[in-house]
Amino acid sequence: MTRMAPRRGTAGTDGRGPGRGRERGGADLLVHLARFASQLRLHGVAVGLRDEIDAASALGHIDIADREEVRISLRIALKVPRRSWDVFDTAFDEMWRAAPGGPPRRDGRGLPRRWRGERSAVPPLLRIRRQMAAASGGGDADEDEDAGSGCPGYSPRALLRQKAFDVCTEEDLLAMERFLQRLARRIAVRRSRRLVPSRNGRLADFRRSFRNSLAHGGEWIDLARRERAVEHPRLVVLCDTSGSMDAYSRFLLAFVLSLRSMGSRVATFAFNTSLTRLTPWITGGNLVATLARLARNVEDWSGGTRIGECLLAFADEHLRSTVRHDTTVLILSDGLDRGDPALLEMALLAIRRRARQVVWLNPLMGDPRFSPEARGMRTALPHVDRLVPAHDLESLEALLPLLTG
Amino acid sequence: MRPEVRGLQDAMRQRNYIADAPIATAVHLALSMEKPLLVEGDAGVGKTELANTMAALLDTELIRLQCYEGLDTHTALYEWNYQKQLLRLRMSADGGAPEALEDIIFGRDYLLERPLLRAITRTGGAPVLLVDEIDRSDEAFEAFLLELLSDFQVTIPELGTIRATHRPMVILTSNRTRELGDALRRRCLYLYVEHPDFVREVEIIRARVPGVSASLARQITRVVHELREWRLMKPPGVAETLDWARALVTLHQDRLDADSLKETLGCILKDRHDIREVSPDEIDTLVDASGAA
Repeated sequence: MTRMAPRRGTAGTDGRGPGRGRERGGADLLVHLARFASQLRLHGVAVGLRDEIDAASALGHIDIADREEVRISLRIALKVPRRSWDVFDTAFDEMWRAAPGGPPRRDGRGLPRRWRGERSAVPPLLRIRRQMAAASGGGDADEDEDAGSGCPGYSPRALLRQKAFDVCTEEDLLAMERFLQRLARRIAVRRSRRLVPSRNGRLADFRRSFRNSLAHGGEWIDLARRERAVEHPRLVVLCDTSGSMDAYSRFLLAFVLSLRSMGSRVATFAFNTSLTRLTPWITGGNLVATLARLARNVEDWSGGTRIGECLLAFADEHLRSTVRHDTTVLILSDGLDRGDPALLEMALLAIRRRARQVVWLNPLMGDPRFSPEARGMRTALPHVDRLVPAHDLESLEALLPLLTG
Repeated sequence: MRPEVRGLQDAMRQRNYIADAPIATAVHLALSMEKPLLVEGDAGVGKTELANTMAALLDTELIRLQCYEGLDTHTALYEWNYQKQLLRLRMSADGGAPEALEDIIFGRDYLLERPLLRAITRTGGAPVLLVDEIDRSDEAFEAFLLELLSDFQVTIPELGTIRATHRPMVILTSNRTRELGDALRRRCLYLYVEHPDFVREVEIIRARVPGVSASLARQITRVVHELREWRLMKPPGVAETLDWARALVTLHQDRLDADSLKETLGCILKDRHDIREVSPDEIDTLVDASGAA
C-alpha cells in the first residue's frame, strides 16, 4: 500500500525508527509493552497477543518520544474499548510515569488507583464491589445479601403486601394470559431477514435453481426455494418485585410465562433487596397458580429495592451462564432505588458489555409527565440501549419489535 | 507529533475534515500498517465522513457497503447474472459440449460484482472500502467479512479463488447496537471517536458551513456542549450541530436568542423526551451559556 500512503515515514516498518527511546534497544520496549499488556489484562481489559504485536508494530510508525502520541497509538493498536479508557489511562500513567516530557498526567476518572499490591485473583468487578461495600460501612457484600435483619422485606408491612399480590382477580389474569399467549406466539415464530434454502419456501432461489438446471441441460425442471430463517430470541428478564412495582411485575412475569410456554429460552430473575433466580419456580401450569407459588416462595416479594446490589450480584454470578451476544436483557423496574447508584452503573456496564441489548422497562413512563428523574434511573440511562414504557399490555406489545429486532 | 501525522491532519483539514490527534494517528497507523480501521462512536460524530475524506485524500474511489440484518454474500460480494446466463444457454440450446458451455456461463463476464468483490479487484488503484454500520449485519456475515479481511481473497465455487489485486483501505463503522465479535475487533485497529472539544467543533462548523460567523459558531458550540452535559436520551452529535448551524444561517440569524433557539430546537434535539426536558427557564440557561446575553 505504499502507493496509498503518500506520507509514509522515513522510519519504515522495521522498528528501527529514529525515536529517541529506540536507541536503548527495541527489546526493552517490548518488555515494557508485554508488562503493560498484562497489567491491562489483570484489570479486566481483554488484550491478546495479537494486539501486543499490533502495538509493537504501531510504535514503529509514530514518534515514541511524544507521550500523548504513544498513548493514543497504544489505545488504537490494543483496541481498547471506550469503557476501558479509564483503566487504560491509569495503567499507562503508572507504566510511563518516569517518562520525561509529555503533557501532565490525565485525570483518571473514578476508578481505584491502587494498581500495586492488589494482584489478587478476585475478578475486578467483585473487588470493586467489596471495596465499595467496605467504604459504605456495609461489611462484606455477600453477607449483606444474606443478612435479612435490616431489610424492609421482613417487616409486617411487607407481609401485608404479599397478600395484596393476590388481589388481582382470577378473571383478569385469565384474560391477560390469553392475550400474552398470542403475543408470545408471535415472538416464537419470528423470522430473521436472513434467507436459507428450504423445500417449500416462498421465495425463489435463482442461484440454486440455475445450478440445478445444468444437470438437465439448462432446463428448469423445478424451482429451488428459500425462506427466511427462524430465529428464537433469547431473553434474560430481571424483574423488580419490590412494593412499588407490584402491579407491573405481575404483568411482565405473566409475559415471561407465556414466552416459556412457546419454547423460547428465557431466564428469569426477581430482585428486590436480594436476587432470586425464578426459573426453577416457573415450571408450568397456569398463570394464576404459578404467580401464587412465586409469591409464596420468593423471599421478600413486594419489599424494598436495592437495584445496584442485585444487578451486580447477577453480573457476578449469572452473567456468563445466561447472557450471550444475542441475548436481550430486559430490566423491569421503576428505578426507585435506595442503594448506591455507582453499583448500578457498574453492573449495567458489565451486563451491556455482554448482551446484545439492554432494555429497561419503566412502568412510570406511562405517565405523560414522566422524565427519568429517579436517582437510579438517571444513573442507568446512559448505559441502557432503550428505555421503554411498560405500564399496560399495549406497551408490552410495543416491546415486541425490540425483542426480535 | 510525528510529521506524517501532522501532515495527514493538515491534508484532512484542507478537505474540510477537522481531525484531532487520535483520528489522525489512527488513520496514519491504518495506512502504514495496512490494517482495517474499526471506527466506533456516538451517532453523528463523523465516522462515515472520515471514509469520504480519506477517499478524496487518496484520490480514489469510495466503495460503500451499507450493512443491514440479512445482508448476505449475494448482495455484498457477487451474484451471477442469471438472465444473461439463461440467454446464453437458450442460444446454444442445440448442443455443444456441456463443459465448454459451463466454462462460458460461469466466466467473469457473467459475474455481477458487488461492493466487496469490486473493492479488491478494482482496476486503477486501491479504493477506500467503507463497511458502514457493521453492527447491523448478523454474526454469520461478520464471520465472512473477517475471512475476507484477513486473506483479501474470496473463493467463488464456480470460478475459483480471486485474489486482491491490491489492499483497499478498509474503514468499518459501528454504532454499537451490538457488541462486535472479538475476532473482528482484533483484526482491525480501533478508533473511538468522541464528541469534539470546543475549539475543534467551532473549527468544524466554520469549515463545513459557509457563511457562518465566528461568533455564531462559538455560540452554537457552547450551547451544544452545554446540552451534552445534560442527561439526554439522544445527545446532539456533530451532524446535529452542523444542521443547526445551517438552519440558523438559512434563517439569517447572526446571533442566538431565546426565540431563534426555541424555533430551531428540533435541529439539535431529536427525541420527544429531550425536547420536553427543555423548559423556558432552560432556554434562558442555554442562551446564557451561549454567551449571547
